[in-house]
Amino acid sequence: MRPGLFIHLMSIETRKLFSYRVDFWVTTVVNMVVTLIVFWYLWEAMFQESGASTIGGWSLPGILTYSVLISLSGRVIRGGDLQMAISTDIYEGSLSRFLLYPSRYFFFKYAQQAGAVLPELLQSIAMGALIVLVYGIPTEVPVTATSLLMALPTILIGHLLFFMLSVIPQLVAFWAENVWSLSVLLRFITMLLGGGMLPLSLFPEWAQSILAWMPFIYLYDFPARVAMGLVTQAQWLEGMLLSLLWCGITALLAVPFWRRGELQYTGVGI
Amino acid sequence: MRRYLRLYLYFLRFSFSRALEYRMDFWFRIVMDTTFYAVELLFFTVLYQHTKLLGGWTLDQVFIFVSGYLVIDAIHMTVFSNNMWWLSIFVNKGDLDYYLVRPVSSLFFLSTRDFAANSFVNLLMAGGILAWSLIRYPGTLGSTNITWFLFLVLNGAFLYYILHMCFIIPVFWTHTSRGMVMAFFAVGKMMERPDQIFRGWLRRVLVTVLPLSVVVSLPARVLFEGPTPEKIVHILGVTACAFLFMAWFWRLALRSYSSASS
Repeated sequence: MRPGLFIHLMSIETRKLFSYRVDFWVTTVVNMVVTLIVFWYLWEAMFQESGASTIGGWSLPGILTYSVLISLSGRVIRGGDLQMAISTDIYEGSLSRFLLYPSRYFFFKYAQQAGAVLPELLQSIAMGALIVLVYGIPTEVPVTATSLLMALPTILIGHLLFFMLSVIPQLVAFWAENVWSLSVLLRFITMLLGGGMLPLSLFPEWAQSILAWMPFIYLYDFPARVAMGLVTQAQWLEGMLLSLLWCGITALLAVPFWRRGELQYTGVGI
Repeated sequence: MRRYLRLYLYFLRFSFSRALEYRMDFWFRIVMDTTFYAVELLFFTVLYQHTKLLGGWTLDQVFIFVSGYLVIDAIHMTVFSNNMWWLSIFVNKGDLDYYLVRPVSSLFFLSTRDFAANSFVNLLMAGGILAWSLIRYPGTLGSTNITWFLFLVLNGAFLYYILHMCFIIPVFWTHTSRGMVMAFFAVGKMMERPDQIFRGWLRRVLVTVLPLSVVVSLPARVLFEGPTPEKIVHILGVTACAFLFMAWFWRLALRSYSSASS
């Protein structure tokens, strides 16, 4: 796909998102503020009642910073509101027109997805800056401009990985009459096993060693730790390569689903 | 009353026959909800590896609290959730007219017509988890406490519906409910945490104006601490006030409804 076309598709999706401005801001602000409040009170209660100064290697300011970063980056990684876009195309029969376009369907969909994420990325950056202005950065957390810059590509790759992970459940729509449950299922699993609900270092050692081999760690836990300056450059490079490798693996896994599904597809919609 | 009961039985019959048409979705929903239950229980299990108490509760108590929440969520998914989803679509397409001219309460009709038969199995599963968490509880709970708790869990399911509805009704003015629904699910996270972790003004809000902690956290307190008249009156009073507010808000919204593609 030509970069010009990719950017054009992105801009269409971004403009679409802004057509309901009130909706957009209500979703963003309420979601983020409430998530932060819940995290704040939860961790504060945990530290108070356990009497410990660190939990799973985290101090209270550290774990709160982690939670802030998770809620800021999580929205970007999960991507706009297009998680059902592929299955909707299949169900409505609108996939047919994409098949006639001189461009690959998944690039098309990813361009739309990226367009939906752009405003959320900018919003997250603005809200992150606001939080830093109001509360500052805790002294125990080694966040630097470099670590934040290093986090940006990990978040974008995390977004690509989440998109790739959601492709297979979406393609099940060729055979099943409703795949909404599968998308929600993916979200539950990635939130817990990816570090979206709590840092993975809080899990028992044996679970951590299993989770390290899974792709989910690159969705929330890894980008947050990179942003916090807790990852060396070598670990960062390794993490980036592994997350790209997982993108490739999930893409390969999706191929047979797509090929078989195409044969199944009638184009009339359900 | 009998007319409403008969009508609801028709809804049930229709919903079950439709669910059997979509068998794969039926199984997917079961897997999804089972995963949700597992995630909720695992989350607290991991937290309790690092503390003995959270919000003043032990892991065994939190299991009962979470199970209560799972039952409420399952009731909501089974009885109300689909209807909430359709409401904003009806408002925007002007399809609400069809329901407004029916000789029954429009709020009743629109809130209950689509019974999610495919979530019914999950309701049984959530009930099973609640029974398991009550049986494995090491202390003595007493039959009075358990009876009150179960009654208040049902009340919590009704309150959950009221709160959800209050977040959807603005669709009559905003034309899209996405933002408000997302906001509801965001604030709903507070419902899934013990009320005692919240302090100060936030806790006061959560047990009165935005009674998310009244849904399941206060009923769990009734179970562990006993059913004092203050607690019971508080929980039922807040629910009654919330219901009256919703009914008023609904009537106000209907006055703003201008039929097709409003």
